[in-house]
Amino acid sequence: MRANAATSRRAARPKGCRVLFGTVGALILVLSGVWTIVLAQDQPQTPAQPAPAAAPKEDQPKKDGKAPENVEMLPSSDAASMLGKKVKGPNGEDLGLIVDVLVGPDGRPRAAVIDFGGFLGVGSRKIAIDWKALDFGPLRRAGTAILGLDRAQIAAAPEYKPGPPGTDVVTAPTNSAPPPVDTQK
Amino acid sequence: MSVALAKSKQEQDETALAGRGLDGLNLFVANIQTGFGPFIAVYLTTQGWTQTAIGTALSIGTITAMATQIPAGALVDAIRNKAAVAFFSIIAFSGSALLLAIHPTALWVYAAEVLHGFSSCTLGPAIAALSLLAVGQAMLGPRLGRNARFASIGNGIGAALMGACGYYVSERAVFFLTAAVTLPAVLSLLPLVRLHDTALPARPSPGGRPARAPISSLLRNRALLIFALCAMLFTLGNSAMLPLAGNTLTKEAGNFASLLIAGCIIVPQLVVAVISPTIGALANQRGRRLVLLIGFCTLPVRGMLFATLDHPAALVLIQGLDGIAAACVGILVPLIPSDIAGQSGRYNLSMAFIGLAIGVGATISTALAGWIADAFNARIAYVTLAVVGLAAVLLALGAMPETRPSPSATGPDGH
Repeated sequence: MRANAATSRRAARPKGCRVLFGTVGALILVLSGVWTIVLAQDQPQTPAQPAPAAAPKEDQPKKDGKAPENVEMLPSSDAASMLGKKVKGPNGEDLGLIVDVLVGPDGRPRAAVIDFGGFLGVGSRKIAIDWKALDFGPLRRAGTAILGLDRAQIAAAPEYKPGPPGTDVVTAPTNSAPPPVDTQK
Repeated sequence: MSVALAKSKQEQDETALAGRGLDGLNLFVANIQTGFGPFIAVYLTTQGWTQTAIGTALSIGTITAMATQIPAGALVDAIRNKAAVAFFSIIAFSGSALLLAIHPTALWVYAAEVLHGFSSCTLGPAIAALSLLAVGQAMLGPRLGRNARFASIGNGIGAALMGACGYYVSERAVFFLTAAVTLPAVLSLLPLVRLHDTALPARPSPGGRPARAPISSLLRNRALLIFALCAMLFTLGNSAMLPLAGNTLTKEAGNFASLLIAGCIIVPQLVVAVISPTIGALANQRGRRLVLLIGFCTLPVRGMLFATLDHPAALVLIQGLDGIAAACVGILVPLIPSDIAGQSGRYNLSMAFIGLAIGVGATISTALAGWIADAFNARIAYVTLAVVGLAAVLLALGAMPETRPSPSATGPDGH
């Protein structure tokens, strides 16, 4: 019985090897495909700079040790990264993450697209929020922007639709004061 | 005499221990898989990824899973030591989670997606093969029922745990937690390590050659092809339904939307946990066809209910039907291939074939429902999915043969 098992195992090996090699080959194929995509994409997902202020970024000839003349310091108190940052409501509730910024022909931001609601990524919707309705004051220290509307108020908003006719944008309520400055972190 | 008795007692203990191991394995693996779902998109967003880049990363995962499904099935068939396959798959999950947590940059995320895509294709079949080895063909139905129970408990706990972790700690912490859960998953494998030695009796081998059925015989197997088609149609109707319902909830339910969506995810898991052992026994006693039809019938009903009711609480309750379908399909996807190919040395390849059909269905489903909901509205999308579900029911009713081995092989035939 044991001997029989052993021989059958030995006999099975070449076939197993073939399958193994086939699988490894398939994996290599997939990996090389991925690699091509990586090269083609040229790392697009380094967090986009907000840079609404037109910062001239021409090619800078590298001079050792000394900064070239067309470079200036942008203090961290003046600007902060905003993609993927949280948007909170007036009572500190999470509203969603900033996933995109809509910019006008003049380079000024017109609206932020947020990914709103959902649980573990299920059931979230993208909603465009008027740029003026957002308070970016706390972005630098707390990493969040504040919207003066709560969940229930923006839940019914139409979904963000990129493309020709245009998209609906949620604006700040006209009758209420701008969002309070002191907010919990 | 007493020696023989003692030995059989020891064998019983070992079988019971293997059962515990399978319970734990299903629990923890489901736990791990929760972190790899749609949540990856949320995590990458917090890391400053653009939506396009996230789409690319997720597509890479999907494409890998599709492309490696069949080779992975053949690989698992060729390797005697299924516990080792499970071990390396779990280690790959752990590596994938760590890559995502430590290095959320393009190359590493793509690598993590490829690693996860491939190892999901080997782990599922390996667990099914271990179950078959542990209990044998005759008792596989109830065993798979138990697997489904523990997997759904794992899913439920995973969703709650990772939701809380993402909310109170950070999105990144979710992946460290996921990597940590691989440890108990590996420990659950311990009692299963011996199982590969008994893998041989499945193969009548005249002249010492393993009588592995030719692959073409699988492709000519009518029952397998029909079941693959059924599974594809079902998934096509099924998998976009939860995201659609989640969307409706986010729109309708205001402040409690996230809680209700969590409910929509957890309620079906509860249902599966409660009923799946019964379903497994039913598949053994009354046949696979009945179970298949019960599971499939819930889909058109659910689609029509979603299309007509939009009260938030109603949506959560309707999701209970998803639990019934998930229990039935979850048990049959490994069970029917074992009926067809369990003895031929092509069990995992047959399962991979079904897995591929399900993958195709799921991919089309999300795209189709998204497009319809966008171009028309969610109601029409629900109705369309319901119609596809009805097609699955009709196909199963008209063409799917009973695959349960004859009663003499499974013991006393029910009542």
